[in-house]
Amino acid sequence: MKIEILFPEFCNLYGDMFNMKYLKKCIPDAEFIETALEEEPAFVKENVNLIYLGPMTEKTQEKVISKLLPYKTRIIELIDKNVVFLFTGNALEVLGNYIENEDGTKIDGLGIFDVYAKRDMFHRHNSFLIGKYEDIEIIGFKSQFTMLYGNNTDMTFVEVEKGIGINKESKLEGIKKNNFIGTYLIGPLLILNPLFTKKILEMLGLNNEVALKEDTMAAYEARIKELRKLG
Amino acid sequence: MKKGFKFYIALWGAKFGTVLLKLFRRNATFFPGKFALKICPDFIGKVGKPKTIIAVTGTNGKTTVCNMIEDILKDNNYVFIDNKYGSNIDAGITTTLISGVSFMGKSKKDLAVLEVDERSAPKVYPYLTPTYLVCTNLFRDSLIRNAHTEFISGILTKYIPKETTLILNGDDLITSNIAPENKRVYFGIDKLDTDMDKCENLSRDIIACPKCNTKLVYDYVRYNHIGKAHCPKCDFKSPEVDYLVTNLNLKNMKLTLKNGSLEEEYDLISDNIINIYNIVTVITVLKQIGLSKEQINASLKKQKIVDTRYSEEVVDGVKVITHLAKGMNPIACSRVFDYVRKYKGNKVVILLLDDLHEAARGSENTAWQYDTDYEFLNDDSIKQIILAGVRYLDGYVRLQMAGIDKNKIYYQRDEISALDNIKLDEIETVFILHDLYSMELKDAAKKKIEVMIRNKEEKESRDSSQENRE
Repeated sequence: MKIEILFPEFCNLYGDMFNMKYLKKCIPDAEFIETALEEEPAFVKENVNLIYLGPMTEKTQEKVISKLLPYKTRIIELIDKNVVFLFTGNALEVLGNYIENEDGTKIDGLGIFDVYAKRDMFHRHNSFLIGKYEDIEIIGFKSQFTMLYGNNTDMTFVEVEKGIGINKESKLEGIKKNNFIGTYLIGPLLILNPLFTKKILEMLGLNNEVALKEDTMAAYEARIKELRKLG
Repeated sequence: MKKGFKFYIALWGAKFGTVLLKLFRRNATFFPGKFALKICPDFIGKVGKPKTIIAVTGTNGKTTVCNMIEDILKDNNYVFIDNKYGSNIDAGITTTLISGVSFMGKSKKDLAVLEVDERSAPKVYPYLTPTYLVCTNLFRDSLIRNAHTEFISGILTKYIPKETTLILNGDDLITSNIAPENKRVYFGIDKLDTDMDKCENLSRDIIACPKCNTKLVYDYVRYNHIGKAHCPKCDFKSPEVDYLVTNLNLKNMKLTLKNGSLEEEYDLISDNIINIYNIVTVITVLKQIGLSKEQINASLKKQKIVDTRYSEEVVDGVKVITHLAKGMNPIACSRVFDYVRKYKGNKVVILLLDDLHEAARGSENTAWQYDTDYEFLNDDSIKQIILAGVRYLDGYVRLQMAGIDKNKIYYQRDEISALDNIKLDEIETVFILHDLYSMELKDAAKKKIEVMIRNKEEKESRDSSQENRE
């Protein structure tokens, strides 16, 4: 089992790296490859089972787009081959058509998904989310300068019960295509959502139990109750 | 800037409001300024300002640095205005400026010391040019407000006036690169025995060169991205420091500061590296505005780090230390955790870190916990961790992710009754780590712990006399 973490020296905001630390606890014998921005990603020539990209700064987004652009065809191929991808926070935006600044200037993305992001650097959006993914509930945090636009109806990750989807008018969060999952949810998503982590493990063809099952479930259930109480 | 009718309405209204608020014994440190800005949005630009303005910004330490600067200036009979008791955003700064002007808006004071929140830069600096702007450091802070350091350093660079002289932490590669066109003075601390080759913190906001993306080589790491580094491929590197601590003598509590060919010795009032940085920052600022070593040091010796942030008491031989560990601020918390683990002797740590301000809004985004070095609490000298508060279940998972033995952790929702489970045997220090919004809780916890220690001591003493009689 090979798991590739892309550019952790840059894409490491908001404690999201603990998604991988938790996964390591769940799959102790997996090999975790950390690929620096200066290096060629392992997925280009090797078979990896999961590719992870965490949230990053706005300048880093441009660097990551430039880095991944030559591998666009390979990324599409891997998505089609059901390789598991987990892109959190604004990582998803690098695969869209473009990111638009407040002044109207645009940064071209990889164009793998027919969506685009709009930045508003002086209005940071913060919210909680509770929603449905397949038969389970997903909870999480959003904290972002951007909103995503475009049609994700046929490739929704979470149907939102409370909170927002890819933008304030949407109730459809993130993108799920085959085993690619991109979501604006930040932080320790997998720790917060042990049932979702279990789904990821199943996507990887594993029957492992999640780590710290009892305690992560207790925190998960308490948070669901708390979020349901919110107006 | 021409004043105009709106300005005077705003000024007089704010001054009248201040009198009214004071009459009703209300805090007049925010609303007068808020009112003035509502009536006259460019009020800060129009109101008279002192000739010399020292502004202090940065992620951590700005309040402590401001307090120390103000106390030393006061001790040396300087007259100035400050926002010590007010807010550090535009409304608080406006209130402070109003307090220092005549009824016609002319400045009555020559000096101002202003703590300025980093995010307020776009609302303050277009209208106010600090003579000196101090930036203590830039780290990842509350992610819901400040996002990341690139965002904060970006707005500082964009809005700091070109005429301002910057006083910057030269050991911080992010801070040292803000507003590169401005005149600057760096302070720093030379390599210490405790410095490391590799960073042991979870968060480092500058790992790779921002110019060429190559991983930086750290000559030494103090904590997080604080230290000395260079890029092996290009010219990006830590700057040469103007005010450099060349010797730290923690035994005698002295530091030696080198500026050019001059070396001076100052007293230390804390052995905590964070506070040592604060002290060096303060000395650098005061030297820049012309105070002598003697003036600074005589007053420095009288200083105390404010009690709300740190307190220490010995109760029947057991130390009870309260320490502010700002929730949602990963670096501040990590520094405190590091201090705790390195503190000599066996200890119990009580964590009251939930952000009650956030909790009041319904829930708290706990992502910050995973940028915080809870791993530092995984130390043999920490015999027990009491974890309590709204987020106790999240905290319990986080502590286990840090590899801490479950048997060492006691966790429950209610903060005060959780303390009943404290195990004081062979404990030399009890640390109560608390958030900024948990002051009352901290005081209640401290009081209860002190009673528990006294009761234990009395019981042991009774048992011992009983044994002797038998």
